[in-house]
Amino acid sequence: MDPNRVDTPLKNKIIGVLRDMPILPLLIISFVLAACFVPHFFTLYNLKNYLLQSADLLIISCGLTFVVLNGGIDFSVTSVMALGSVVGAYIMALSPLAATPAVSIPVAILVMMGIGVLVGFVNGLSVVKLKMPSFVATLATQLIVLGLAVQFASTVSGTSSISGLPEAFFILGGEGKFFLVPVVIAFSMWLFSHWLLTRTLFGKRVYAVGVNPLTSFISGIPVKKTILTLMVISGLFAGVACVIATARNQVGMSSLGDKMFLTTIASVIVGGTSTAGGFGGVNKTLLGVLFITLLNNAMNLLGVGWYIIMITLGGLIIASAMTSYLLNRQRGNNA
Amino acid sequence: MTTLSDPLLKISQVRKSFTGVQVLHGLNFDLKRGEVLGLVGENGAGKSTLMNIVGGVLPMDSGTMELAGESYLPLSPLCATERGVAFVHQELNLFTNLSVAENLFIDGFPKNRFGAIDRKEISRRTRECIDQFSLPVEPDTEIEALSAGIRQMVEIAKGLLKNARIMIFDEPTTSLSKREKEDLFKNIEDLRAKGISIIYISHILEDVFRVCDRITVLRDGRIIETKATSKFSEKELIKCMVGREMTQVFPTIQKEIGKTVLLEAKNVSSGSRVKGISLQLIEGEIVGMYGLMGAGRTDLAQVMFGVEPMEEGEIVIHSCPHKRLNPRMCINEGMAFITEDRRQEGLLMTKPVGENLGLVKLPHLLNRFGVVKSEELDRENRKAIEDLRIKVTDYQHQLANTLSGGNQQKIVFGKWVMNRPKIFILDEPTRGVDVGAKFEIYSIIANLAKQGSAVLLISSEIEELIGTCDRIMVMRNGRIVGQSLKAEFDQEKILEMALQGES
Repeated sequence: MDPNRVDTPLKNKIIGVLRDMPILPLLIISFVLAACFVPHFFTLYNLKNYLLQSADLLIISCGLTFVVLNGGIDFSVTSVMALGSVVGAYIMALSPLAATPAVSIPVAILVMMGIGVLVGFVNGLSVVKLKMPSFVATLATQLIVLGLAVQFASTVSGTSSISGLPEAFFILGGEGKFFLVPVVIAFSMWLFSHWLLTRTLFGKRVYAVGVNPLTSFISGIPVKKTILTLMVISGLFAGVACVIATARNQVGMSSLGDKMFLTTIASVIVGGTSTAGGFGGVNKTLLGVLFITLLNNAMNLLGVGWYIIMITLGGLIIASAMTSYLLNRQRGNNA
Repeated sequence: MTTLSDPLLKISQVRKSFTGVQVLHGLNFDLKRGEVLGLVGENGAGKSTLMNIVGGVLPMDSGTMELAGESYLPLSPLCATERGVAFVHQELNLFTNLSVAENLFIDGFPKNRFGAIDRKEISRRTRECIDQFSLPVEPDTEIEALSAGIRQMVEIAKGLLKNARIMIFDEPTTSLSKREKEDLFKNIEDLRAKGISIIYISHILEDVFRVCDRITVLRDGRIIETKATSKFSEKELIKCMVGREMTQVFPTIQKEIGKTVLLEAKNVSSGSRVKGISLQLIEGEIVGMYGLMGAGRTDLAQVMFGVEPMEEGEIVIHSCPHKRLNPRMCINEGMAFITEDRRQEGLLMTKPVGENLGLVKLPHLLNRFGVVKSEELDRENRKAIEDLRIKVTDYQHQLANTLSGGNQQKIVFGKWVMNRPKIFILDEPTRGVDVGAKFEIYSIIANLAKQGSAVLLISSEIEELIGTCDRIMVMRNGRIVGQSLKAEFDQEKILEMALQGES
């Protein structure tokens, strides 16, 4: 098959989009099916809920996409959410600052994001300086940071959660009429990531390093700095997701990210970013997030338990990996 | 009926080509029983290809082979081993993380009656083997702990254990000490005394003269001469190895060599492959670098471009001395490095041509927000494609790996030329490139020099260097052992320096 054959432009465009994002038709079909057959799905209340559920997942998945584009993985993101959540809640509810929300809220937000940056930086250093695979480095920080979160919560409050957060903070979680706030934040961060990856020098470098670090190094790309930066971005985004998720739950808890890692990695992979590095992007991750959240939401409404959802997600990851393998093989045959 | 005087291995009309390039042109070749046959030739003469065919690593395109009078057509290395052909590779073929015993039996562990590996039996037979060949090891010593020479002995023992009738040695002495080398030669003597035939491939003519009974010279995939060792003089052998007709055409581009030294290496050392190298690259000059495999040319290039660290010495670029370099500094100083392995080091094979072309220049095509100015990038891309005549229909979508070798190499040139560097280090720039594209690449190189760039051209083809360079330096064992100016270029002299220059 000749990859350069001339077809009608529209047909070509559709084929191009389908090849690039096979998840798109699946998302549309699932949405229509859910709207028709799942009770209470197509209600204003639930659609609001759907968007809110997508918001923090989108942020954390965008961050992870940067790492996966480099052929790496970041296991620590959900732990960052846990630690950020309890430390942020402590600042807003229990610390001496708690009396003045006008101070405690911004401080808490900065600290939550700061925790993400710090963990990302440690991950990045382990990968770049100690030459650890990101798999190992972030698995270690995942355990350490989660342990810290649980320990911190039980030390300051005696339980695993901290409540009594200031009302104003809940705006960030989409409380009441502010429901668009987290959605707008998530969308802005997604847009920013997309811009970063497709338009800037940094983005071009992420893809180049993801495909071939040696070629990149010889071409003068600061490979280590690039990898370090994207690990930090992943941490930072997890910190922001933590702010929104904590505000939505209205409580700081060390179990915040518990079930999120699976949905996050599923969003990135099912969206179509290759785990081998260098191919994909946050545009795909957006679709992945919308699809996975849809699935979660619909199955919840149908009363399907979490373990069944887990099985489904696992199956989807395999299915999408297979699809991308088959598409790649076809690409290879064309070559 | 076969008799003792018949050749053990008889190769007739063996042909082989890779991606349309004929590498072996119908070879005929005999190996007698109990003889040591030397196989010599320049890099790329076809020695390794021939031996890989004999060893079952590569299939031949046409021709026949007979082993002890029977048809021999090995489909795999295992197949060759079973027929008694053992290959002692240049990079030894042992598992360094396993023990001597495990390595000896790796392709067929003896089993006990429950189907499990019979460790007692392995240990017993390994012990036997160790005694028989008086190896200074224990059965459970890990290979990692052994020196190169002893590893080689283990590999030889492994071959004999499989009842080898023919042993092929490919550059066996490169990683050996002087004493280990003597031991190896003694082992070869013993093998010959046992009636085993040996094919000995080496660049080190001294060794070839010492151990071989006969010598076969290979050049450009053809056998040039086979004679008893005593009938060859070293001079004559070298003459056979080169003696190539200058049939290839090179572009004639008038250019002038300037006065300014753009780059100077002063006593640069790194590892065991780069020892005290000093050289100068002058504007408008194309300097050739010849050397045999493993002479350290690529290592030197990597050190000069900051890919590998410099341990001693300094490199002066545009009169600014550097003790430590990295590729980014070199690029900022106006250098370019076309690597030997364009697939692994030069290109993003699975990415479109456009993305590859922009790799180096990109930091200079940004607006003040760090955003890539795509129109300007497109303009640069189109200019490079036009200037270098890269054959690509849709550079924004067509992947680099869909292009021919020549066009791929032109993308690598394009990526560098776009940044307008003044100093070029080219490591085998025409490897895997067809003849037509070669001519174009020579033209590109000559034009770069004409525009005042300094070029260091590393190549294994003497002919190519003579055709394009103003001066040729020769490396051997990590040192520069000689230099030859354009007026006095002589293939034999250059090869002689590469083979036996004082180092």
